[in-house]
Order: sequence, then structure tokens, then C-alpha cells
Amino acid sequence: MSNTSCSRLQGMNSHALGSVVMAELTREQIRDLMGAVMKAQGKTLPAEDSADLREIGFRSLDFSELALRVEDEIGDELNFDAPGLRQIAKVGDVLDFIEQLQSA
Amino acid sequence: MTARRRSTALIGDDNTVVAGGRTVTWRTLHKLPQLPSPAAVLVDNGADALAAVRHHAVHGTELLVATGSRVDLSMREELGESGFAVVIAKGDEHSVTPAKLKRVEESGRVWLLTSGSTGRPKRIGHTLESLTTVTTQQQPRTWLLPYAPGTYAWWQVVTISLTQADQGLVVIEPSELETWPLIAAEHGVTAASGTPTFWRQTIYRDTEALAKVPLEQITLGGEPVDQAILDRLREIFPQARISWIYASSEVGASIVVHDGKAGFPRAWLDREPDPESERPFLSVDKDELIITSPHHGAGLDGAVRTGDRVEFVDDRVLITGRLDSDEINVGGSKVSAGLVRNVLMGHPAVAWARVFARKAPLVGRMVAAEVVTSPDLGPITDADLVQWCSNRLPDYGIPRRIKFLDAIPQKETLKSDV
Repeated sequence: MSNTSCSRLQGMNSHALGSVVMAELTREQIRDLMGAVMKAQGKTLPAEDSADLREIGFRSLDFSELALRVEDEIGDELNFDAPGLRQIAKVGDVLDFIEQLQSA
Repeated sequence: MTARRRSTALIGDDNTVVAGGRTVTWRTLHKLPQLPSPAAVLVDNGADALAAVRHHAVHGTELLVATGSRVDLSMREELGESGFAVVIAKGDEHSVTPAKLKRVEESGRVWLLTSGSTGRPKRIGHTLESLTTVTTQQQPRTWLLPYAPGTYAWWQVVTISLTQADQGLVVIEPSELETWPLIAAEHGVTAASGTPTFWRQTIYRDTEALAKVPLEQITLGGEPVDQAILDRLREIFPQARISWIYASSEVGASIVVHDGKAGFPRAWLDREPDPESERPFLSVDKDELIITSPHHGAGLDGAVRTGDRVEFVDDRVLITGRLDSDEINVGGSKVSAGLVRNVLMGHPAVAWARVFARKAPLVGRMVAAEVVTSPDLGPITDADLVQWCSNRLPDYGIPRRIKFLDAIPQKETLKSDV
């Protein structure tokens, strides 16, 4: 019914969790999704992990959207309670955080 | 208790009825065997439902008519315990499960089932008189009847044909929904009523076939009506009268708008009651539409909280959706799903849209959407739609996840639960 793309599932890492096999995105795939979020806003994601989120206009709504995109790709909800709160100020912080959430 | 019966029923007895490929009149429609009273008549086609209505109009027996698919086994049990014999009608054949409770019939009573969009369908009591809301003489017309038998919208069209001369009916069965414009053109349908989803699907499937139907009256109801669908129908039928109606089993047909605009004029709120007219009294309390209607169901006189949410836009009152699902709270900022849907459907390449809340980190809920694009104007991307919305909505109202569907979903009620 849906023609939403799931092409990124190809080439994903996966690990067994009990009897369920969970797909996991690579850091580069998460960066691609982050770029897509920015692109939808008419913005461009800088290549550097050190880029400041406020300066590039990546806001909490964008972060939430990125999380939804990741959930759609892996077919599961992210557990945001697991890693605890932390400061997220740079592009690299976002990628680290999502990576950590996936393995939480 | 005896419900009042309308004396004007059967004025339309010689009106043409086209059903299942046969052309008859109300008078020559096949007859159902004498029905028990009260009876819940469950049908799987429009002709049997009309036969049950005529039986009621002639004999005044207490009647509930519905499609069998809407009444599951437990509801059939409940009907039996409430005194209804359950009749499965199929042409000349029928089976009867006697009522479990013996009670005195309410002569002239007609029962409707609510759509059940807010839970299990409820029974609402009416009469032919309370269901007949079009009482002024109509110019000769042939009406399309695409609604599921027994719904309020179905009764609205049926009572016009039953109580007025020169008001023919062309019944569309569920299996004919995809090709109804061909059938309607063949039988000269000049008036058609349907949900916005019904009209969108028809335009999406075959605009050319639709344009060949000689429509003079187009009516929309049953779902929030947006400006985009009104404008699209106006393009296809520049000469037709295009109306939208707010109606429900509970309050009847309460708002009728003919000016081609979505919503109704704000000046209609809190108007002094006019004893000469059957005008309902409309008001708003905490975003909820409140209606006191002369067309109400039994026991529902007085102000009825509709559960429908409204928003004020300039001098219009827009009905945006159900109160319990229309408002989406995005990190403390609230946005109406109905208004977001209207913006999406205002995009020239969008044929249909559904907007809903999706659980999201940090902000609690985000706006998400499902969209069907027009085959003529696509392709478009989610970025195109985000851009479209960002020029018309606050940040928090922009759908952040958009899924493209291949076809417009539609239920038996012709709605798509938008």
C-alpha cells in the first residue's frame, strides 16, 4: 500500500535480540537521514561533526523528526529513556546519541 | 408509545428506482413479506433496504434497517434482547430470528445506527417525519444513492424520493462505487450526495467520466468539507449548485451551506430562534459545536454537544474534526489536524490527505500525514509538501513524516476517518 522508501534497510547492520532481529543504522546512514531532515527545510547539513546545531538551524522539532525517520527505517521505537539526558550541541552529538539509542 | 407518522410519505410512489440493474418504481419494487414489528432488517443490497422502507411507510411497523456487515453477532443479540426480530432479507427470501424480549411496538418508529466512529454504534430513534428534512418542493431530479443503507445520509436521500414527486433514485452498490459515473450518466442522474472522500475518489479515478454526469446539485457531508474539494467540483461543474451539509443521526441535518465556501458564516452562531423556521440553534463552547435542532433524534431535544471541533477563520466557522482527535499538541503548541489537512489538500497535486499525531521524542507528539497524489499532477515529494506547508502553517503544524499511499482509503460509510 505504501510506497515510502525502505531502501536504506539494505546494507544495515543487525544484531539478534532474543528471537527478534533488529536492524541498526550506521552512523553514515543516520547522517543521511539528518541531511534529509535539513534538506526538507531548505537547508544543508555541513560535512563536519563539529558544526553547531544552533548555527545550522537544527532545532528540537528537527531532532524529533530525525528520530521518527530512524524509527521508520529500523521498524522499531527508540528508547529515549535509556541513555539519560545529555547536552546535544553539535552534529556529532546527534549522531552519537542516535547511535547509542539504537544499541540501548 | 407511538411515534408520529408523516402523512406525505408515498407521494413519490411512482418515482423511478434503479437498483441492481433493474428499473422499477417505489410502487413496483419487490415486496418484503409482512415484517414483524419491531424488526431489524439486515440487507446486503440497496433494493432490499428500499423495500423495507416502503413496507414501513405503508404499514408503520417499527424498523431498523442496516447492512448486515455493520451489525455483528453481539449487536444482533443486543437487538433481540431489545425486542427486535432480526430479519436477514435477500430478495424474496428472508430469515427471521424472533425477538428475545416481547414488547409493545412503537408504531411509526425508525431506528438508525450511529456511524460508530466514536465507539460502538448507538441506536437513535427517528420517524419518517423527523428524517424528512427537505420539505420544500424540489424541481424534478434523479438522485444518486451511494450511501450504505440505514445511515442518516442514506435516509436523507431516500426520504426526498419517497415524499416528493419526480425525485428518482439510482442506487449504487458497493461493487459499483468505482464506476458509478458511468451508471449515473446512463440514467441521467442530476443530483448526487457523497462524502468528501467519495468525491475525491471519483475525481481521482476518472474525472472525465464524472464530468459526463449531468449534475445540477452536488452535496457533500459526513466529513469535514474543505475548500479544495469545493473548488475542484466547481471547476468540473461550473453550473451546478454545490452544497455541504452538517448532519448526524443525533441532531439531523442542521447546517446547510450553498455559497461554495468551506465552513459556515460566523453570524449564524447564537442567532435568535425563529419560531417560523425550522432553523437549528448553533453555538460554540470551548471549541465544541453545540446544536439545538428540530430534526433531532428521539430524546435528544435541547442542546446537543456534537463532539466536533471548530476553528474560527476570518468570518467563517470551520468544522475541523472530532474534538478528541483533532487537536495535536506539539511540545505545548496546539494545532488542528483538520486545518493541516486543509492546507495539504489545497496543494494542486494532492488528491487526499489524512493528518494525525505521532508519538515523538522531545516534543511528545508530531504532526504526520498520509497522502495520495493526483495521477495527473504528480510526482511530488515530501519535501515539496513540507515547503508548501511551511508557507502556510506554523513550524509545529508542518507534517514531519509524510507517507504516500497508492489509493484513497474508503470505508463502507464512504468516509476515510480523516
